[in-house]
Amino acid sequence: MRNNATTEPAWLRWALITLALGFLALNLLLPLLAVFGEALRKGITAYVAGIREPDAIAALRLTLTVAAIAVPLNIIIGLAASWAIAKFDFRWKSVLITLIDLPFSVSPVVAGLIYVLLFGLQGWFGPWLRAHDVQVIFAVPGLVLATVFVTFPFVARELIPLMEEQGRDEEEAALSLGASGLSTFWHVTLPNVRWGLMYGVLLCNARAMGEFGAVSVVSGHIRGKTNTLPLHIEILYNEYNFVAAFAVASILAGLALVTLVAKSLLEWRFAGQLAGRGH
Amino acid sequence: MTVTATDVVKSFGNFAALNGVSLDARPGEFLALLGPSGSGKTTLLRILAGLDFPDSGRIEIGGEDMSNAAARDRRVGFVFQHYALFRHMTVADNIGFGLTVRPRATRPPRREIARRVSELLDLVQLSHIGGRYPSQLSGGQRQRVALARALAVEPRILLLDEPFGALDAKVRKDLRRWLRSVHDRMGLTSVFVTHDQEEALDLADRVVVMDHGRIEQVDTPEALWDRPASAFVCDFLGGANRIACHVSGGSVDIGGVRLPNSAPACGDGPATAFVRPHEFALAEPGTAGVPVTLRRILRTGARPALETATADGSVLEVIADAADHLAAGAALTLVPLAVRAYPAA
Repeated sequence: MRNNATTEPAWLRWALITLALGFLALNLLLPLLAVFGEALRKGITAYVAGIREPDAIAALRLTLTVAAIAVPLNIIIGLAASWAIAKFDFRWKSVLITLIDLPFSVSPVVAGLIYVLLFGLQGWFGPWLRAHDVQVIFAVPGLVLATVFVTFPFVARELIPLMEEQGRDEEEAALSLGASGLSTFWHVTLPNVRWGLMYGVLLCNARAMGEFGAVSVVSGHIRGKTNTLPLHIEILYNEYNFVAAFAVASILAGLALVTLVAKSLLEWRFAGQLAGRGH
Repeated sequence: MTVTATDVVKSFGNFAALNGVSLDARPGEFLALLGPSGSGKTTLLRILAGLDFPDSGRIEIGGEDMSNAAARDRRVGFVFQHYALFRHMTVADNIGFGLTVRPRATRPPRREIARRVSELLDLVQLSHIGGRYPSQLSGGQRQRVALARALAVEPRILLLDEPFGALDAKVRKDLRRWLRSVHDRMGLTSVFVTHDQEEALDLADRVVVMDHGRIEQVDTPEALWDRPASAFVCDFLGGANRIACHVSGGSVDIGGVRLPNSAPACGDGPATAFVRPHEFALAEPGTAGVPVTLRRILRTGARPALETATADGSVLEVIADAADHLAAGAALTLVPLAVRAYPAA
């Protein structure tokens, strides 16, 4: 019996669900299991040795450092951009929106190359930087820049539709009640988007830790110095050090899983607000 | 507190929202801005509040020039059409907001704020739900919270944008009587925007009728009803039937019936007459007047309304007693008893 106009027949529903689940198992679950399987193939001691190796620890530390700088930067810039776009009218607004999407459409490798072109030894600012003894490319600042670029849209993209949907009424109410611009933002705008913001931050963080392309171009692959986790994994893999490569990869996968679980919890708890419907 | 607007002009791109509007609200007055959508009434209200700024013109509140003052410096209470309650705060926190965000030097102590909030909760009869969130309230309750929140900062004037627009008919009527009593008790000067003529006439001391960014007439409800200044006002106040007529020597000729013109002077020549539904008498066909055919009888109010049509198909609505013996299709003559004629557009 069909009790709903939009419900499809049972066989079709089961076929679609099987197809989707099968695809997910094959493309997502299997590789994930393979990572842990390969990492533990020669036993737990080899796994622990791969992880405790100084270069791996340095890579982990670097990855966390880069994320710890890039994510807060993008929270601030993303909040500012989405606040400006959603709550104010100005010329070139659509240009700004397009620019925010740029990192999604540009290949990360190109993004990395842009920074080499700008800050590398032969780049536009290269001579000036060298004269002042500042190293950007092949150093942490370059890694941070490249990561900020690649992960920039996540926070802004999450917040713009949410803020636009909420409109300006509450802000106007706050202003007419005597609140300053800053306290209006702090007491009204920010609390209204807090769960959306957290969601954007989680996505931004996941990408910041996992970014390979742009970071690879500006890193210079100096072991123990400028290798992030993804780069370190690639080096180990190219050296046929599979157990160590997969062991380090399992850390990265673990970080991703933590992020994913946190995101699912948020979605489950605050589904309405994330969809922009308010309470 | 007096509120004065002088020659206010505002446009949005190519759209002229206000074409030089001047207005004053006297201390203690309850003023309605009435007009169709796009007439500029909400824009004028927002300019008074400092949420929009005029291209030119002057705004004074209590004799002080406020033309360029920010919203937060105007001490104006604003009630939004869709309430704009802070959705993440409880009712009590919403009401206390204007006090808690004050700079430390002028902020009342916490206990004083709590006392003021509970006073206002009493005023709007919501003491039992101070801990709830806006999403848990009905429309009428939200409206009262919005009002309490605006009153908490002791505004010099109160501005309300379509305050009853989103409420159902019954709640709307109760709430507007209640709002009027709050206004009178607190000695406020209030300006509210509405597109509902009944609401404006029922509630306001004076009504400002607006159209296309201009003020058509400012008057008391009685004067507005008795002496509409223009065809637009007469039409917008509602219900009046339009009939083509001829004016000569100050009297109006409708189908052979001659009546004095109740509207301000209208020159001789063809004109449009407005006759309200209850200003007709029914007569046998063949009498002088407007010959019509009865289409149907509507029994929506205490007295039946007759929907009739003239020979050229235009519909005239008549409210008359003694309609019981009539049936659809009957031929009648409508004899106008009072008429307002304005130059034909």
